[in-house]
Amino acid sequence: MMIDRTSIPADTKYLTPASIAAIAVVAVALVMLPFVWDNRFYISLINEMLIFGLLAMSLDVLLGYTGLLSFMHNAYLGIGAYVVGLFLIHISPTSIWFAALVGIAATSLIALPVGWVQVRTGGLAFALLTLAFGMMFHTVVWKWYSLTGGDDGLMGVPTPEVHLFGWSLGTTGDPKVMYLTTVVVVGLCYLLTRRIIHSPFGSVLEAIRENEDRAAFVGINVRRYKLYGWMLACMLASIAGALFILYKGYIGPTTMSAFSGAGVLMMVLLGGMGTLWGPLIGAVIFIYISDYISTMTEHWEIYLGLVVILLVLFLPTGFVGIGDHLKRFLKRKG
Amino acid sequence: MGGVSTAIDITLNSLVLGGVFLIVAIGLNIIYGLSRVMNLAHGSLYALGAYSGYTLVSTGLNFFVALLLAPLLVGVAGLLIERTVIAPMRSRSIVYTLILTYGLMFFIDGLIKYTWGNEPRFIDLPAFMRETLPILGTHYPVFRLMTLLITAVVMAGLMLFLSRTKTGMTLRASSTIPEMVSCLGVNMKYVHIGAFVLGSVLAGIAGIIAGPLTTIDPIMGHEMLISSFVVIVIGGLGSLRGAVIAALLIGAVQTLAEFFITDLAMVIVYMLMAIILAIKPRGILGEGKFE
Repeated sequence: MMIDRTSIPADTKYLTPASIAAIAVVAVALVMLPFVWDNRFYISLINEMLIFGLLAMSLDVLLGYTGLLSFMHNAYLGIGAYVVGLFLIHISPTSIWFAALVGIAATSLIALPVGWVQVRTGGLAFALLTLAFGMMFHTVVWKWYSLTGGDDGLMGVPTPEVHLFGWSLGTTGDPKVMYLTTVVVVGLCYLLTRRIIHSPFGSVLEAIRENEDRAAFVGINVRRYKLYGWMLACMLASIAGALFILYKGYIGPTTMSAFSGAGVLMMVLLGGMGTLWGPLIGAVIFIYISDYISTMTEHWEIYLGLVVILLVLFLPTGFVGIGDHLKRFLKRKG
Repeated sequence: MGGVSTAIDITLNSLVLGGVFLIVAIGLNIIYGLSRVMNLAHGSLYALGAYSGYTLVSTGLNFFVALLLAPLLVGVAGLLIERTVIAPMRSRSIVYTLILTYGLMFFIDGLIKYTWGNEPRFIDLPAFMRETLPILGTHYPVFRLMTLLITAVVMAGLMLFLSRTKTGMTLRASSTIPEMVSCLGVNMKYVHIGAFVLGSVLAGIAGIIAGPLTTIDPIMGHEMLISSFVVIVIGGLGSLRGAVIAALLIGAVQTLAEFFITDLAMVIVYMLMAIILAIKPRGILGEGKFE
C-alpha cells in the first residue's frame, strides 16, 4: 500500500492455514444458508447483522487500529444510504453499481474536508469533533425536508436488479438475492480491509494508536495517515450505507442519530476492538439482543447504558477477550 | 415593536442563554480541568436538575427552596457516579472514559424517561416572576431577568471561591500542576471527588433555572451537552475565562440564528466550533489544555 519512505514491515503472520480455513468455512456456510434454511425472517435478520457488522468493522479500523474515537460513524452510513437512495429515485432506478459508486464517491467528498479538520486534533478533541459534525449531518438530514423527506425519511426507493456482466441474479426486493449480495460485498470488504490492515500501512496506523509522538519521530506523517485511516473507515461505512438502503428500501434521520451511533460503538466494544472480525461478531450479538429486548421493554436505553458501562469497566477487550480472561482466571485458580 | 426594542430583546435573550450555557460549561470545564474526565453525561445531570426542580416545585415547595435543593440532589448523584464508575477509570485511556460516560448518559436519560415519561413538563413559577418588566420600550419577563441575576450570583460566588479561599487555591493549583499539589500533601482523590460534585451541582443549578425558560423534556440534556461542548472547545478546554467569552458568543450566535433562520441554527454553531478547532485548537484565548 502507501508507504512513505518508512520501512515498516508488513504483518505476515495473519495468513495462517487455520484463519484461511475459518474464513472459508464461514463464507461457504453463509452462502449456503438461504438454500438450506428458507426462513425469510432470519435471513433478513442476518442480512441486517452483516450490514451493521461492516459498519462496526469500519469503525474498528478507526478505533481499534488508529486509536481515534468516532461517536457518530453511523452518519457516514447515513450519507451513503441517502445518496444512493436519492440517485435511485431521481436519476436512474436500475443502475445499482453506478448508484453505489456515486454513494461512495459522495460520502468520500463529504468525509474528506471533515477528516481534514479532525486530524488536526487527536484524542478527546477528535472525538468531540466527530460528535459535532455527526450532529450537524443529522440536523441537516432531519430539517432539509424537500430533499430528504425530513422526519418521514426517504421513501419509495426502487429495488433495482442485481446484475453482473449481463448476468442477473434478481431484484433486491427478493430477500434471498439481497442476502447473497450482502454476503458477497461484506465478505469482499472484510478480505480487503484485512489485507490493508496487515500491510505496512496498517502497521503505521497501529504505531499512531500506540504513540502518536513516537510515530512522528520515526518520520511518519501522522496527520496524513490519520486522514487515510479516516477515509478508509468512511468509505467502508458508505458501502454499508449502500447495502442498507437496498436492503431496507427506506432510511430516516434516526439512523443518523447519536443514539444509533452509540449502538455502533457498542458493537465494536462487545466484539472486541482491534480485531476486525470481533466487531462483526459484536454486531451479530448486539442486533440479536436489541431485537429481543425491544420486544420486552420500551426502556431499553437504561439497559443499553448499563451494558456499555459494565463492558468498559469489566470487559474492555470484548467478546474476543473472553478467552484470554478465562485462561488467566483458570491459571490463577490452578 | 420597533427596531430598538427588538434589539434589546435579542441582547437580553442572548445574555440569558449565554448565562445558562456558561454555568453548564463551567461545570464540565472544572471536571475536565481537575480530573481530566470529559463527562458526556453532564447534559443528563443538567436534565436531572430540571426534573428534580420540577418535582420539588410541584410538591408545593417554594421555587427558591427548590433552587437550593435540586442542585444538591444532583450533587449527590454526582458523588455516587464518581465513586462507582468514574474513579475506577482514572488510570485508563481517555477513550474508555468517553465511552463509559456515553453509556452513563443513556443510562441516566433512560432513568429520566422511566421516572417522568416522555411528555414535556413545566415548572410553576411564583406569581411575581411570571410578570413582565418594561425596559426601554419592550416588556421583558421578570423570570428571565432573575435567571440573569442568578447566573451572575453563581458566577461571582464561584470566582470568589476559586480566587479567595484556600480550597479554591488548591483546586486552581491542581488544574495546573497536579503532581506538585499531590507532593505537597493534598490527597488528589478528594480533589477529583470535589471537582465532580461541584460540576454536577453547577449542572443542577443550570437545569432548574433553564427549566422555566424552555420546556423540560428528556432530550433537553443532549442539546445542552452539545452546546456546552461547543462553548468549552471554543473557550479552550479547562480555561474559565475562555468559557465566559465563548458562552456569551455562542449565546448570541444561537439567539441571532434562531431569530433569523430557525431550522439550521445549530448547524451554524457546529460550523463555528469546527472552524475554531481547526484554526485555534487551544481555544480563543489559547489557554486550553489538550492531552
